[in-house]
Amino acid sequence: MKKTSIIGIAIIAIAIAAIISMYGDASTYESFSVAGEHPGKEFHVVGVLNREKVKYYEPKKDPNYFSFYLKDEKGMESKVVYHNPEPTDFDRSEKIVIVGKMDGDHFEASKILLKCPSKYTDEQVKT
Amino acid sequence: MNNIVFQGEHLFWGNLGHSAVVISFITSILAAISFFFAERNPLDQSWAKLAKWTFYLHSLAVLTIVGSLFKIIYSHYFEYHYAWQHSSTDLPVHFMISCFWEGQEGSFLLWIFWQMVIGQILMRTAKNWLFPVMAVLMLSQIALTSMLLGVKIFGYKLGSSPFELLRNFMSNAPIFKLPDYLSKVKDGNGLNPLLQNYWMVIHPPTLFFGFATTVVPFAYAIAALWRKDFTQWLKPALPWALVSVMVLGTGIIMGGFWAYESLSFGGYWAWDPVENASLVPWLILIAGVHVMMLHKATGNSYIVAVVLILATFLLVLYATFLTRSGILGNSSVHSFTDLGMSGQLLVFFMLFVILSVCMVAWRWKAMPHSAKDEEIYTREFWMFIGSLVLVISAFQIILTTSIPVFNKIFGANMAPPADAIGHYNKWQMPMAIIIGILTGVAHLLKYKKNKKEALKKIGLLALISVLIAVILYFAFNLTNYVFTGLLFASVFGIITNFLLLIPFLNGKIKLAGSSVAHIGFGVLLLGVLVSSANKQVISLNDSGTQINPEFSAKENVENIYLERGKPNKMGDYIITYVKDSVHWVNTYYQVNYKKLNKVGEIDYEFNLYPNGQINPKFGLVANPDTRHYISHDVFTYVSSVPAKKTDAKFVNTKLHKVKQGDTIYTNNGYAVLQRVTSSTEGKVVDVKNLQVLLSAELKVYTLDNVYQAIPMYGIQNNEAVSYDALVDEARLKFKFTAVDPQTKSITIETSEKDQSGDFIIMKAIVFPWINFVWAGTIIMVIGFLLSIIKRIAEYRKSVAP
Repeated sequence: MKKTSIIGIAIIAIAIAAIISMYGDASTYESFSVAGEHPGKEFHVVGVLNREKVKYYEPKKDPNYFSFYLKDEKGMESKVVYHNPEPTDFDRSEKIVIVGKMDGDHFEASKILLKCPSKYTDEQVKT
Repeated sequence: MNNIVFQGEHLFWGNLGHSAVVISFITSILAAISFFFAERNPLDQSWAKLAKWTFYLHSLAVLTIVGSLFKIIYSHYFEYHYAWQHSSTDLPVHFMISCFWEGQEGSFLLWIFWQMVIGQILMRTAKNWLFPVMAVLMLSQIALTSMLLGVKIFGYKLGSSPFELLRNFMSNAPIFKLPDYLSKVKDGNGLNPLLQNYWMVIHPPTLFFGFATTVVPFAYAIAALWRKDFTQWLKPALPWALVSVMVLGTGIIMGGFWAYESLSFGGYWAWDPVENASLVPWLILIAGVHVMMLHKATGNSYIVAVVLILATFLLVLYATFLTRSGILGNSSVHSFTDLGMSGQLLVFFMLFVILSVCMVAWRWKAMPHSAKDEEIYTREFWMFIGSLVLVISAFQIILTTSIPVFNKIFGANMAPPADAIGHYNKWQMPMAIIIGILTGVAHLLKYKKNKKEALKKIGLLALISVLIAVILYFAFNLTNYVFTGLLFASVFGIITNFLLLIPFLNGKIKLAGSSVAHIGFGVLLLGVLVSSANKQVISLNDSGTQINPEFSAKENVENIYLERGKPNKMGDYIITYVKDSVHWVNTYYQVNYKKLNKVGEIDYEFNLYPNGQINPKFGLVANPDTRHYISHDVFTYVSSVPAKKTDAKFVNTKLHKVKQGDTIYTNNGYAVLQRVTSSTEGKVVDVKNLQVLLSAELKVYTLDNVYQAIPMYGIQNNEAVSYDALVDEARLKFKFTAVDPQTKSITIETSEKDQSGDFIIMKAIVFPWINFVWAGTIIMVIGFLLSIIKRIAEYRKSVAP
């Protein structure tokens, strides 16, 4: 066999491995119910803040504990715990994307992305 | 509607700029066509003349666009949407430069500008390759200038003009029915606070210059296919490709440095899609340059070299599409809005893909094919393998970065990996190990034929490197065995290339750019390894464990709560949030660090001033502050501040009757009354009808400092008046309330500032040996520079008569 062919085959093999690894590591956008069926697996969940329920953040007691209730796009609600300070402007958010996994009664978020109404397209003329 | 005469607008600059855009677009088409025909009809001089003049006109038009846009931003003409959206009146001049490229139109303009400058350089240096190369360059210029047109053609809006008027942009807003609407638009939206940084003034122009230069090797490769001349283009294209490698590399690392200095994610590289999008063409270009050089030396692998050079430019276009079309959406910290140009960007990208594929297919048979397999013990073989590893590494990065694209195409529901950094590192670390080792191996071998001694030398050096790596492993306190591979690779790369450099040290260093660049790469690798392996979050917080029942030991509890004035122990440091001060729009939080030595005494101390900007548009935008030492950096940023600062409350009010020399005790320190004077000189008081004014000079002692406080007491209009003295650092207020002439004593009221509600939550990270990262990069850039000089000299020699 020519060396070129061996190298070619090796490259194709690695490329396929890269594709598989991308699939394997890629998270998906899911609802709380799916996340609940696979505890310990990480998902992206999109939802809105339930403003009627208590949002807890007491930096004096623990600056790394923030919890709130999120309603996912299917209407299911779950408590979310985030071991970081409350993101600024959290209340203004229209939509919230949380990344993390289900852990017993709550969703353990490792990342929170906020979609604020006027973040990048503030078309209000200041007068 | 159209008969409203608007007042105060400066329409001249917009009209000038917009006309210049149209002219630049038309002249780029004309120039591309005439360069094309100048190449086709070498005997007809008129095409060449026309091409030259249209290109000069084009350059003038581009300069006019740049000038008009800058004038609009600089003069705060908020009737223009671009100025209103991206700038505000309070910005200093250097940040106005950043406003210029904050928007997409501005960054395209920057690219157009650089491509024009490159065209001008080619006009003077490209000699007999001028026509075909310029024809390709102008083709790219057509595509770019069309992005700024902002005109509707057959119902499709082509491009987006930076000279759009605000009243046209938001034509439905009632304010634009008023003729004097402009007097009501007082200020612009301002510059994104993250971009208010010195690095943002120089990082984008560097990066875009890097992007713009990739068109030159691309154009040469296309021209070579067109002319069916597969040898002559290599000499002039190689220095350009190296310039591209150098500038793009510098631009990328500047972005990393900006991220490190001003973003709060705590690092210089986060595998963010935008970072990846600029890294991938760079990796492919480096692979391309290596294959070009091995082709020059051996005559093999021509097609691979051409494909890689073409792919570099195509990947730059793909990166542009990814970052500018809004397709990345939420997956990036750099969020760019979609200006409705994604279709146009895609057409631009596909146009060049089709051009490249067709050209390669057309000349496939004619291109030189490798005659035989490479020998294993040769430099070319391992250079080739190294280039392939770079390609695979780039492929893996672009694959995962393109997840949002796959979602669009296949309607899938994938999200980027939850642990993106882990995902990329898992792949890129082994790649980096292989590349590091190959930089040594390939350099030790010669082209074509090698004797057995070379192999022995490699073996010996590898052995020495293993020993050094083991020593370093313990010296740097590494704990993960995975890092030994990386450590070995970087050490091996550094010492072999250093060995090869030695013969050149006596004044011939100009010729050794390659060794220098590879040493730089080794040092960079070492820096990345040590700074990330031993990166230590020191602001670990354990105070919540007992208080909060819901708290369970989690690894990501990395923020610490600091009440103002209350010292806290954190790692080997005693930290205190001292005070805050406001400069311009930023609030700076002074955090005092006292480093303890092994026996718990204070070794040295320093202050850091991380700042935060409560921005109406972006929320809290935190900028870190970093203390740099040779061996490590202490990196600090505020992750949260109280939303609204409550007005200062004073508690624990007490009265003290004192004489000169007496001491007043409070919880926050003590004060000694020095003397009481009656001079009004230099005092900021209202002296009208002032009958008496007494000043009590107090010396205030806190645990670690001494301050002065002078509360005053007087009689004005027959009434007692009093001026408080506040010592903010000591959180004490003094009020002079009464005088008793009989006992020669005075009454001082003290009160203590209530600090609850005045706190910051911050995070602190120590990066050991991060200077290796910067040093490695600088060495690498110097290496590129030396190689460029060498290759230009070679090219000059080859064209010399």
